[in-house]
Amino acid sequence: MASLPSAAPSWRKMQIPRPLQQLFDLFPLRTYEANPLPERAQHLTTSDLPTLYVFSTDSDARLGLPSFNPGCLKWQTLLRLANLDFRTLPSTNHASPTGSLPFLLPPRTSPTTSPLPIPASNLLAYAHKQTSNSNSNTPDPDLDLDPDLPPRAQAYLSLITLSLRNAWLCALYLDPAHTSLLQQLYTRPASSSRAVQATLLYQLRRAAAEQIAIGGGAGGGKVISLAPVSGTDGIDEGAVYAAARDALDALASLLGESGTGWFFGAERPGVFDAALFSYTHLMMEYMSGEGAAAEGGRVALGAMVRGAGDGELARHRERVLGVAWPGWDGYRR
Amino acid sequence: MAASLGFGGSNAADKGNSTATPSTAQPSYSGTTQMLDEHLLTPASISSLEVHGAANTRRSLLDHIFKPVVEDTAPAGTTLGQVLDRVGVATKKLARFDIFKEEGFGVFLSEAPRPESAPPTDRTDLDISIRVKEKSRLVFSAGTDFGNAEGSAYTNAVARNIFGGAETLSVNASTGTRTRSAYNGTFSTPINGNPDLRLSVEALRSATQKPWASHEEQLTGANLRLAWLTDNSGTHALAYSTVWRQLTGLAATASPTVRTDAGDSLKSSLTHTFTRDRRDNPMLPQNGYLLRSISELAGWGPLNGDVSFAKTEVEASGALPVTIPGLASKSGVSVGGGLRLGLLYPLPSGYSLAGATQPSRINDRFQLGGPTDVRGFKLGGLGPHDGADAVGGDVFAAGSVNALFPLPRTGPDSPLRLQLFANAGRLVALSSSKGAEKEGREGLAMDSTAVFQGVKSAVGELTNGLPSLAAGVGLVYAHPVARFELNFSLPLVLRKGEEGRKGLQIGVGINFL
Repeated sequence: MASLPSAAPSWRKMQIPRPLQQLFDLFPLRTYEANPLPERAQHLTTSDLPTLYVFSTDSDARLGLPSFNPGCLKWQTLLRLANLDFRTLPSTNHASPTGSLPFLLPPRTSPTTSPLPIPASNLLAYAHKQTSNSNSNTPDPDLDLDPDLPPRAQAYLSLITLSLRNAWLCALYLDPAHTSLLQQLYTRPASSSRAVQATLLYQLRRAAAEQIAIGGGAGGGKVISLAPVSGTDGIDEGAVYAAARDALDALASLLGESGTGWFFGAERPGVFDAALFSYTHLMMEYMSGEGAAAEGGRVALGAMVRGAGDGELARHRERVLGVAWPGWDGYRR
Repeated sequence: MAASLGFGGSNAADKGNSTATPSTAQPSYSGTTQMLDEHLLTPASISSLEVHGAANTRRSLLDHIFKPVVEDTAPAGTTLGQVLDRVGVATKKLARFDIFKEEGFGVFLSEAPRPESAPPTDRTDLDISIRVKEKSRLVFSAGTDFGNAEGSAYTNAVARNIFGGAETLSVNASTGTRTRSAYNGTFSTPINGNPDLRLSVEALRSATQKPWASHEEQLTGANLRLAWLTDNSGTHALAYSTVWRQLTGLAATASPTVRTDAGDSLKSSLTHTFTRDRRDNPMLPQNGYLLRSISELAGWGPLNGDVSFAKTEVEASGALPVTIPGLASKSGVSVGGGLRLGLLYPLPSGYSLAGATQPSRINDRFQLGGPTDVRGFKLGGLGPHDGADAVGGDVFAAGSVNALFPLPRTGPDSPLRLQLFANAGRLVALSSSKGAEKEGREGLAMDSTAVFQGVKSAVGELTNGLPSLAAGVGLVYAHPVARFELNFSLPLVLRKGEEGRKGLQIGVGINFL
């Protein structure tokens, strides 16, 4: 009965006298069909497919193109590698159960049941369960999407999650050359109001500077003064980019050693490949080194990726794109 | 307010007698009514008018009130009665500025000393002296407050009469059962020295928990508001407001509808509210009626912002006392009823009326149900539900009928009543018809025909079947601050997903349906 949800507070679960319970059971006298959901909900949340909430634009999300956020892109790539059939919806961190995107909402089982969201950490387990349930879409059994990487891989992974991430944060959020890109990707979609955009931009930059400071160990970036983070003040930009260059070179030679085209001698791309791709792809797409970024003599992360190991990493990106987004050239323009 | 009109010792009747120093000590109502009536008809004019005690008040503000009095009473033929009326109206107006103490008003009249050389006339020249006491200019207060279905604690600082023109600055901070924190500052000033026409600017910031839809809403915004009183006891307010709403802090179980609406939006809107309250007691109306309407235009044309719609809500309620045959005095029995209607019509942004239109978001839609509107339902218990979340609707209608009886052994003047009630409501969301037209659509936006069809079918849906309905019996206690209700109710008709409440329900609020 709708009026007695299971999550009732404990004092309401106390025994109701039998005659009163019998009276209560008579009501309501009549129950009609449920009210249909509002239009926005009908349109956005009643798909038959699971929905991955990511940072994206409306048109990219409709086509399932890669997200512009590395964290989202990693999991989006993995789900595509796992052959899970899903759609993407542009969203914000506010929507997420963990406070950051992505997360996945399974399809509804009836028009007004609300499925529980699956945070990023449980996505692969969900994908495994789904793909093993549906026989028509069986993935190759040897597809290695085990999120627990071997210890050696863990060590290399920190090159991505610290060095490359710091460089990405530094370039996109703190480098004034990328202000318009940052606005286009993150603040303009949030609101049409300039005041709101300016506030969000300030908050984003501050959070990014703090992140670089926290993950500073490997990146070498240290926030000397947290107070007015309006740019790269207080962060040793040069050290951050140098660490990124070293990391890219190390990853390129690691990939060269592998010989299979994928990391650690695997036959197919795995978690590590997706994690690296999420940065190399975005760096090459948005910071190719042409245009504004190059003029100021600034470091172009895209060019850095292209240069690493004689283009080894750039070719790796092409290969991942070819597997995860077959039939798409990798450029929106 | 209590404006006491005191008559000086020299009154108009003995105008031949030129008493130079009239006594202004105490009002003397010694004359009979008949004498007074005669006096009121004698011609009079104002020779001087003084206001004492308004040390911090600008002269110009007082001029706005009293100049017309002097000017209006200048023509020959003005009677003492008219002068007194004018002065009475003016002091009442002065009191509405809310800068003078109610008990401090005193008006004293005396006959002006006539120069020897002046030609004799049959008019009485009056010296009028008005005494006021200013309220404290700075007041700090703290306390507890009851709003609809919410209790809160607040601290408040008010600076009155800042620039001597009855300007008020009020700064308020509060925290409550649902409002995690709220801060606002309001500067308000009368326009043109008129206490019934006020302009105010407000800045606000708040964070409010909305457990019925598993989220928290944070607001940051400002508004500019012009409020005025009309002669027939109606109050109007026209406000422009701009608010940044952030829907965040979602519960782990939040529904997909709430998740897709999470994030930022800016609402820029014009709102007009009208209230006419003719009830004898707002907390326990036994006689009279209340009319209220709220109309809002958001986002359209020059307003911009992220949401665009026209929204209107009307409320009418009334009560009638019931006389019991054979009982001469007030019985304390009354019957009452109320009706609320609301409609949200999504509009395209920009100046066009026919263009891509975004359907409504959860923070713009109506919520219905709860102990202060449709009793017998949980807060937001009516209308579309996604899982356990009340996601709101674009059209609603709600009505209630009730009968109030005094409890045995308490009189009709007691604030306690026994209540019998039945109330019903319907809350429907706009949704485009399934199938063909949806397939062709690329994005979320609807065209104007789809919106019109959607609203039309939502309005039609209001009368589809019986409304969701609950009835019950309860106790009402009308405290001057808030009304408390303890009801036992049972839902009679429901939609699936709607949350009725069987058994006891407590309601605390100031505005009940």
